[in-house]
Amino acid sequence: MTDFAWLVLAAPLAGMIIIALGFKVWPGRLAGWIGTLAIFASFVLAVITFLKLQDADEHHKQVASTLFDYANTVGVDAKLTILVDPLSVMMILVVTGVSTLIHLYSVTYMNRDEGISRYFAYLNFFVFSMLLLVLAGNFFILIIGWAFVGAASYLLISFWYRRKTATKAGIKAFVINVVGDIGLTLGTFFIFKHTGTLDFLGTFSQAGDIGTNNGDLVAGCVLLLVGAFAKSAQVPFHTWLADAMEGPTPVSSLIHAATMVTAGVYLIARMWPLYEVTPAAANVGAIVGCATLIIAATIALAQTDIKRVIAYSTMSQIGYMIMAVSSGAYAAGMFHFMTHAFFKALLFMGAGSVIGAMAGVQDMNKMGGFRKVLPFTFITMLAGALALSGIPPFSGFFSKDEILADVAQRGGFHWILFVIGYIGAFITAVYTFRMMFRVFAGKRVAEAEELAHGHLAHAEVHRNPTDGEVEDTDVGFPGPEHYIAERAIPMKIAMGILAILATIAGALQIPTVTDAIHKFLTPTFEGSKYYESLNPSNSFTFTFMAVGAVLGLLGILLAWQIWVRRPGTSARIQARFQPVYTFLWNKWYFDELLDALFVKPIAWMGRFANQTFERLVINDAIVGGTTMLVRAGSAAVRAAQSGLMRSYAAVLVLGVGGVALYFLLQS
Amino acid sequence: MSLDWYLVVSAMIFCIGAAGVITRRNPLVVLLCLELMLNAGNLALITFSRMWGNGDGQVFAIIVMVVAACEVTVGLGVIVAMYRRRLAIDVDDLRELHG
Repeated sequence: MTDFAWLVLAAPLAGMIIIALGFKVWPGRLAGWIGTLAIFASFVLAVITFLKLQDADEHHKQVASTLFDYANTVGVDAKLTILVDPLSVMMILVVTGVSTLIHLYSVTYMNRDEGISRYFAYLNFFVFSMLLLVLAGNFFILIIGWAFVGAASYLLISFWYRRKTATKAGIKAFVINVVGDIGLTLGTFFIFKHTGTLDFLGTFSQAGDIGTNNGDLVAGCVLLLVGAFAKSAQVPFHTWLADAMEGPTPVSSLIHAATMVTAGVYLIARMWPLYEVTPAAANVGAIVGCATLIIAATIALAQTDIKRVIAYSTMSQIGYMIMAVSSGAYAAGMFHFMTHAFFKALLFMGAGSVIGAMAGVQDMNKMGGFRKVLPFTFITMLAGALALSGIPPFSGFFSKDEILADVAQRGGFHWILFVIGYIGAFITAVYTFRMMFRVFAGKRVAEAEELAHGHLAHAEVHRNPTDGEVEDTDVGFPGPEHYIAERAIPMKIAMGILAILATIAGALQIPTVTDAIHKFLTPTFEGSKYYESLNPSNSFTFTFMAVGAVLGLLGILLAWQIWVRRPGTSARIQARFQPVYTFLWNKWYFDELLDALFVKPIAWMGRFANQTFERLVINDAIVGGTTMLVRAGSAAVRAAQSGLMRSYAAVLVLGVGGVALYFLLQS
Repeated sequence: MSLDWYLVVSAMIFCIGAAGVITRRNPLVVLLCLELMLNAGNLALITFSRMWGNGDGQVFAIIVMVVAACEVTVGLGVIVAMYRRRLAIDVDDLRELHG
């Protein structure tokens, strides 16, 4: 089965290389189909791997296989190893499956963009990096995949490279991710120091012997958390994710649903043997996840850019997952990862369709009344929104409530996290349906009216949605985004499949009925302290499922009251709580905080190095000093070079005479 | 006859040549004086050759003569070229290459 797992990696890599080699010769659309096909092949291979894994007997469900030794010196075994076990197989299934649909969607969505071949090469590279990350069998491959994902996200976020805002967002994402990479690498050093091996299985088998809360191991695990927080956009490393909305909409879908941000969740789940012996580090993870879920949810309440609302919702949902896997609710966390991948990809695709109908405008203040004119987009997005809000029987309901029930089961301070988690669930329902109502309900805007008559609104001039700057549609600027799901079959297929999955995927893990995810993941989490014991009683589970459903419905009801029934209410609330609104509108001032703490001092140091240190020390003292020395020396001996041949001869004769005299006196 | 006398004569000729090279400004005379110095060297070589009863010194002397002939040929060519361009025939005036 590892043979097939290697091929899972090879397919997107091959796709990327083929597209990159042929981009000048082939029309862009072909690149799209090649890319989609490569990921689809990868998905098929992942399914084969999954089937082979199901056939394997109980004790052979964790298989590591090595392609070759990269380096094997002084006890460091840096091999090209992949690890195939239920956890990684679940990850590759979701990653390749959702990515295939996103590729399919992109074939139409990016059709008229001049950079479409480049786009698909990057997209394939992104999926390849993510697969490398989740299949890694040792820290070495993990770090490679981790860094590749960061690089790919940079390329895709600043895909429209002539937009200043896009390149800025790409740099921001890259820098924050590099901070995470440093955390991950340093954490690996700490763990290697203790275990003497980079191999996952070798590390885990030793984890039990080290003892609880060993200082080095806690430091290592906290540093790994830094990596996870940066990748998964958790507080305080979350600021890049909202800016990452500068990339094309399918890219947002890919980053948020299948790749990138889920890497942190995967990392913590993969490292469970280490986190279980370092409860101090695990508690940090749980608390930060919980803080993120509430902070991001409140920010989402105030944002008006449709993609940013969904972006903050992602941070919030990833917060749930981080909290789950840090608290020992691994199956619930991974289950939520899966359902979230379905409904979040779907919501972004729906947003893309709406943006297409709005001719590139993303501001929800300018939208409204699209329900009748975009029926397909509305129905599918509604399924996603209900799943996100946790309304039964949609998938998000089962996964979110299982996380909260398991976290409550831990007891202690986890009760606080549990309560905050429910508050977050309520806010989630409010902001999700705020978005739905503002886009689809209310009075029809001009664009919707046009669409009702069968015309798509065309922007006269393309403008940057962030700062209103005028753009052309040449390479490096967004192409005309005039595609709506209603009129594009590939987009329709992708959204349709995701809508069905978002609706029914919850059936995989209905407490006491199916429990499929839990059973499937058991071989990976064998020997875990919490995996079997965190099994809340039925009455407990069902009580809180009911509470979750009621809270979600109340949230939707509140959103309906504010934005549909009495349209003026939101403005009144905003005026009443102006300071709170400003605080949320400015995203809790995290950007300003990070600016003041890190960006400004480092920029000042850079300016000092550039303007003062370099000029005085490098230019004047070191470079200037050397030339000055040579100049002074040459000035001293220049006088001897008179050009008078006779004086040269005289000096020569005197010199020879002197030497001869010396030897004569010696003898 | 002792070798000393030969060497004394050689040293005297060498000194006369060296003094000429150092003091005279006309390049023709400088070349003549150079020849004197080379001949002083040749005389010493042949003297030593005789002393050791060995032909090596004589061979060297012939090589020095050939080199001297070549040098004078080039040197005279340079002087003629200078004369044609109406440059001063004075080694002290020819110091374009000073530092």
